[in-house]
Amino acid sequence: MTDIQIRHLTKTFGSVKAVTDLSFGAEAGKVTVLLGPNGSGKTTTLRVLLGTVRATAGDALIGGQRYEDLSCPRRRVGALLDSTGFHPGRRARDHLRVLAAAADVPDSRVDEVIGQMGLADAAARRVRTFSLGMRQRLGLAAAILGEPEVLVLDEPANGLDPVGIAWLRDQLRSLATAGRTVVVASHGLAEVAQLADDVVIISAGQLRFSGPLAEIGDTGSALESAFLKLIATA
Amino acid sequence: MPSMLRSEYRKIVTIRTSWVLLITGPLLVVAGISGVILNGDLRDPVAATSALSHTGIAALTSLIFGILGTAGEYRHGTITDTYLSFPRRERVLTAKLTVYALVGLVYGLASAVTALAMSLIGWSARGYSFPVGKASTWGILGGGILVNVAFAVLGAGLGALVRNVVVAITAALAWIAVVETIMGQLIGSSLSRWLPFAASESLDEVRLSGPGGVLPAWGGATLLIVYAALFATAAYLVTLGRDVT
Repeated sequence: MTDIQIRHLTKTFGSVKAVTDLSFGAEAGKVTVLLGPNGSGKTTTLRVLLGTVRATAGDALIGGQRYEDLSCPRRRVGALLDSTGFHPGRRARDHLRVLAAAADVPDSRVDEVIGQMGLADAAARRVRTFSLGMRQRLGLAAAILGEPEVLVLDEPANGLDPVGIAWLRDQLRSLATAGRTVVVASHGLAEVAQLADDVVIISAGQLRFSGPLAEIGDTGSALESAFLKLIATA
Repeated sequence: MPSMLRSEYRKIVTIRTSWVLLITGPLLVVAGISGVILNGDLRDPVAATSALSHTGIAALTSLIFGILGTAGEYRHGTITDTYLSFPRRERVLTAKLTVYALVGLVYGLASAVTALAMSLIGWSARGYSFPVGKASTWGILGGGILVNVAFAVLGAGLGALVRNVVVAITAALAWIAVVETIMGQLIGSSLSRWLPFAASESLDEVRLSGPGGVLPAWGGATLLIVYAALFATAAYLVTLGRDVT
């Protein structure tokens, strides 16, 4: 049971203040959705959490540790980020085998996640032949490869069709129900309403709200008006 | 470290580019040496060294391969996965430099074997015997292999520093052309003979001045290794603190 703590996180890129004094937590067994407009600092926050971006001040901890201090991080944290790419000429199965070698995970696990993500028929094909939905599934397969307790996903539903979105929601719900800590960054209100246990609303790099979904309004229109009101306060 | 090396190895062998480049080296050697065999005066010992020195030509593929191994990860976006697997970036760079040194060794060996085999066949086909027994023969081949290792490491360090495949390859080729020309004029042809695309009668490329001479390749190869180490060090110092966005 690993939780996530963001404590007084500040990140500036040159003169741009991406995140300012942000603090919130994400608990195990729940789906916590980071909600905010484009450019609100959600992605930056996740990147600091995963160690690919260095914080200007404050910290982002996973089970009390920074990502770079975790031993074998892929077995503790799985990530699906927008910037995660694939070599187009590599076969899907080989992409996973590269990551399996890196995480000291047996190749049999690769076949397991391929099956779980419904990619068995496509696994031998090169990634350049994959549709967006298939790439998302491959990315999710990579994220769960190490059987991590924590999952961090940045706008995972982007570009997915309704079938894909529903599938993704089911996957994330079952992972959370199994006790994992699931953090999802999103700008889609509809997804949030159906997926989130807890909601963290960010706008212009600052916290606007943090708490259970029920507190803010779990029907579509209630959520939307509450959200727009919260991000309007500058 | 073992898991790092294993994943780097898998990255290399699971893409077609690796095998294409592996063949390209020996093909370049064959192309270069055939000119010597067809047109050169095979009685002149310079012809023998000129033929064998084409082993260094394959260093071009080693260089490109090194660049692709580091800058290529930025191009395809796979660098994020790499740093998520191994957040300690200095270790990633160490693993890559090690692996690409080995890749350079493989390319160098493939090209050296090709150069020697083709020289033996070509010389005897024209009725001469190739001076296999001479120490310089093995010095030249060894130096050519070392040049391949140095260029692979140099490419990997350059790619990590610049993070852009096109810029790195362009800069590297321009550097070779410029440095090679300058070095040839300052140091003389004995070292310049050991640089890829060095003046060679068969390739009809840039002619560098200076008398011929059969000398060990160690001087030129050592210099290249120094360059490789410089790039690698710069890559360590500069890339560690960078944000990966």
